[in-house]
This record gives sequence, structure tokens and C-alpha cells, in this order.
Amino acid sequence: MLLTTSVGSLPKPEYLMKARSQARKGELSAKELRQLEERATREWIKTQEELGIDVIVDGEQYRGDMVAYFAEHLGGFQNSQLVRSYGNRYYRKPIIMGKITRPKPITIDWWKFSQRLTKHPVKGMLTGPYTIMDWSFNEYYPSRRAATLAIAQVVREEARDLEKAGAQYIQVDEPAISTRPEEMDLAIEALGIVTKGLKAKTITHICYGNFTAIGPKLHKLPVDQIDLEFANRDFELLDFFKGKRFSKEVGLGVVDVHNHRIESRDEVVSNLKRALKVFKPEQVYVDPDCGLKTRTVEEAVDKLRVVVDAARAVREQLVN
Amino acid sequence: MITTLVGNYPKVAEDTYSTKLIGSISKWQRQEMTDAQLEDILREITRAVIQEQEQAGLDLLTDGQIRWEDLVTPMAKRIEGFEINGLSRWFDNNVYYRRPVLHKKPVRKGPILVDEYRFAAGCTKKPVKAVLPGPTTFATVSEDRHFKSERRLILALAEIINAEALALAEAGAPLIQFDEPALGFGKPNMALAVEALGIATKGVKSKTAVYTYFGSLNGALSPLMKAKVDVVGIDIVSEPKTLGALKRTKITKELAVGCLDGRNTKLESVGELHALFNVLKKLVPADRLYINPNCGLEFLPHPQAHAKVRRLAEAARTYRGR
Repeated sequence: MLLTTSVGSLPKPEYLMKARSQARKGELSAKELRQLEERATREWIKTQEELGIDVIVDGEQYRGDMVAYFAEHLGGFQNSQLVRSYGNRYYRKPIIMGKITRPKPITIDWWKFSQRLTKHPVKGMLTGPYTIMDWSFNEYYPSRRAATLAIAQVVREEARDLEKAGAQYIQVDEPAISTRPEEMDLAIEALGIVTKGLKAKTITHICYGNFTAIGPKLHKLPVDQIDLEFANRDFELLDFFKGKRFSKEVGLGVVDVHNHRIESRDEVVSNLKRALKVFKPEQVYVDPDCGLKTRTVEEAVDKLRVVVDAARAVREQLVN
Repeated sequence: MITTLVGNYPKVAEDTYSTKLIGSISKWQRQEMTDAQLEDILREITRAVIQEQEQAGLDLLTDGQIRWEDLVTPMAKRIEGFEINGLSRWFDNNVYYRRPVLHKKPVRKGPILVDEYRFAAGCTKKPVKAVLPGPTTFATVSEDRHFKSERRLILALAEIINAEALALAEAGAPLIQFDEPALGFGKPNMALAVEALGIATKGVKSKTAVYTYFGSLNGALSPLMKAKVDVVGIDIVSEPKTLGALKRTKITKELAVGCLDGRNTKLESVGELHALFNVLKKLVPADRLYINPNCGLEFLPHPQAHAKVRRLAEAARTYRGR
């Protein structure tokens, strides 16, 4: 009970950031970049093992944006010129220009590479069809629905290949799901296509957004576990679950990923105990709110350490 | 039929006016570039954006809001009482803005957008409109730790927006537009929104417009026809049902209709735009009709935004020439 994990991305060390920038300019070969991505992955897996995290992630050292990464490996997508996301931040938003296909498996080699390095289970990490659609332009499919369902088919193929390779946990992230509550049913239908028939434990991470609107449909998400941000809104989200007997497992985000401050073990312990008044201990996985890639390596390690220490402390109190 | 844009336009263009704004802002943030140096670049890009609209043949231009981080930050950061906080989602987009937090009574210390308006207007012989956040939207995307009352917040912001609108009219803006995307979401208090627009436009001698976009205008259309503005802007792309609702509404204002999708790269054909103009002409005479994209074009990469500007102008030109 209270198994610890993390949501997906982990920060890239300085040498990898530099290498990625060199590779973009053509100053570093794909092979050299790959070696550094493997080195960073090995380091993160070792770090997670040393910290005592139960369910490990590969840290996505070889991915940039969580949608662009899949768009680059799928057929039918083109990359756009820059669009602004906020402030002075820009990115290249994929454009669906043709029928979406998966010419070959995308994440399977990386998953196998990581799983060979550890005895802990490594999660397979995918981006969900609704989010890939919402974060892309669409010039090919007649509607947002048609595009979402087409993407669902290829994400499903990837999920099945992860399971075949041996993944016990498959996480399909849908951070966009709370953007348009009126499309929640579409998101649920598409996610259902991805997870149908999988024996692995399925998880989806969704970011907070308009929770009052999507909350009532959370139990319909076709996954075993729903991972949510609790820390960044002071655990107010617990009120929603009070008295509801929520039947799925819950990934409980207990440290804020958008804040430099490292939470104290005591405050996380106390918040975890609050959560255990609402959820059963065997229902809860403990993790940071979201991917840690925006933190420094040191901050990420410190935050993960607090997650593990607090979960352990509460586990011990529960056993005694 | 008057062609125009809603407001913002890509700040960078790999294909034409460069991406140097990104590096320049980073340098300026690190204090490696002076205010004056950054100002030169902002002006250069603003001029290029105005030129693109002019060359395409649009009738009523905007400055592209090149220096705007989002719809509310430029105002909020120069109104005493606000502090600019963390990132929040901009309505139903994967785009983020900084949430203004009001700590004490808001006070406008002086003109905010007048200098930049004057510069933009001086770049072209064509008319340039001025754009402001509408009071309801400004309030909706802010956090109120002072009034703790929706009504008092909206009315206080309406007064400030009015002072700015008066200054922009004084500076020569022929049309002042108030953006109210918030009216497309949830159940907005339309009576209050309309009252606040009345305050925002009070005494303004220029033409005034309220622009709504995103979401869907459930029941907001008829109240908007009672607002003290000359033009009502309607996005019929985000929610196609809005066109049907518009047909059922008694139209007492000039209309500005968002016909091109400012959030998807797919380019509308001249044929489909003409078909739409035929429908709109039955709702309102052509001399009381503005046509534009459904929202600002900054959601698009520059080549596609530019293509939409040219397509808008082309569709209007060929339609008039029939």
C-alpha cells in the first residue's frame, strides 16, 4: 500500500540539454545524442532505485514536448513553425495533414532498455489521443472527434506492444481532458479504445483545470488509476471525493512541481493522512503532482525523496 | 462589408519578419538589452504586421498586440492594486496567461496604451482600431482579494477601462473594441456584463464594439443587442450552432462575424466564405457588417496566419466585385 511513483518526465541534466541544442544545430550526431540520453536514463533509474521508489519511470530524457514526441514518430503529422504558448515561450505545434499511422513502435525500445536496468517495474508512458488531438492543428480529419478516434487506434497499438514487451503499468496521459468539459465523453471513448483488453494496470494523469465540470465523470474514465494534482491547490480536491467511495485507485500528487520550495516531510505526512480519511491506503499511490521536468535535477531529487520518506512514515504508522 | 482582424497576430515569423523578438526579450530580461533597444524591435515588428494587413488589403487594421503578453497583463501591470501572478489556462486553449491578483482598490495612474496606439496609427494611412479587455472578461480572469464582490470588481474595472477608452478615442482611434471571450463560458451575468459595457463606453465619441469569441453564446446574444456599443462581434466557428442562434436573434447592432478559424491552420476556401457572406447579408445590410477571423491569429504559426489575412481580403474583394 501507498506505493510511490512519479508522473513521467524528470529534468534533463545540463550535459543533455547542451547535447540536444547541439544536435538541433547539427553539431552532434543522432548516435552521440542517443548515448547521452541513455546515460541520463541510467542515472535517473539508479537515482529512483536509491531513493526507494516502487514504480519507476524512464524520465523521458529522449522526449521534448509530450505531444510533439509522438507526432514526430507517427505518420500523418507535419511540424509547424513557432506558436506562442505563453510569455516568451514558443513551440512547434504539430499539424495533422494526412491519415494517422504508426509506421513502427515508438516507445518500446526505450521501455525495454529501462526495464533491463532495474528489477522494479517501469511504467510505459504514452500521451492520450484526446490530448494529442487538442494540442495539434487538424487539416485532414473532418472533425475533432474523427481525429481523436483515429489517434486512439495508433495509441492502442503502442499500448498493446508495451504490454507484450512486459509492461505491468501503462500510463496514458490526458492533461488536456479538462480543457473542454463538453468533450469529456469523446475523451473517455478514445481512452477506452486504448485501454480495452489490456491486462496491465492502466493509469491516466490529468491536470486540474475545470475540475467541477469534469469531476462527476471521473469514475467513467476507462482506467484502473487516476492520477491527480493535490498539492498545488492545498488538497482542496479531497473535498470532491469525500463520501463518494471512489472505486478506482488514485495517484495522489503530494508535492507541487511548479514551485522551487521543497515540501517538508511532516507537511506531506499530514496531507497524506488527510487523504487517507477519504481513500483507503491500498487504493493510493503517492507521487508528485505532475512531471518534474521543469525543476532542476537537485529539486526533483529532493521532491522525490520527500514523497518516499513521507509515504514510508505513514505506511509504518498504519502497520503499527 | 469591412474586413478586419480581432486583435493579436504572431509575434515571430520565420518566413518574413524574423524570430528575433524571442532572443531580444530574453536579453532584455537578463538586462543585456536596454528598454530603448527592445522598443525599437517591438516597433519594427509592429510596423511589419501592419504592413502585412495593409498589403493584403484589409480595411480596418490592428497593431497585432505585439507587445501584449496576453489580453489582460498590459493593463493589469500598469493599474495600481494588481499584482501579476502565476500561469492559468486561457479559456479552452492550450495557451496560458498570467493571472492578475487584485490586492487593493484599482487605480489607473495614467494612459496605458495611448503611446503604442499612436505609433501604430502612424504606420499606415488606413484606420487602426484600439482593443481593450472587456470588464467582465478582465474580472473573470483575475483573482479578487480586495472587493470580494463580482459586481464591485466588474464595475470598478469598467470605470478604468472607460478612462482608457476615452484616452484612446482622444488619440484618434476610430473604433474601440472591448474583448469579452468570458461571455461564451458558463452562465455569465449578462445584465451585469451589459451594464459594465455601458460604463466602459460612456462618453466615448468613437465607434465602439464588443467582441465575443470561443465557447458558445448560450442566451448571451439578445442581451448583447442591448449593450451600449455600436458593433457586436460573434464567433460562428468555435460553436457552429451560434449562426443558428444569430438567425433567431433580433439584430439591432452592426455585426462583426468571425468567419475564419483563428485556431486551426486549415485555410477556408473563397467559395465557403462567399456562401457564408450570402447568409450574413440576409441578417444585416453589408454596410453594417464586419468580417474577421473568429479570434486573434496568434494561435497560428505565422505562414498560416498570413494566409488567413490574405484569404479574408481576397474573399471580400471578389465578393464585392461580383
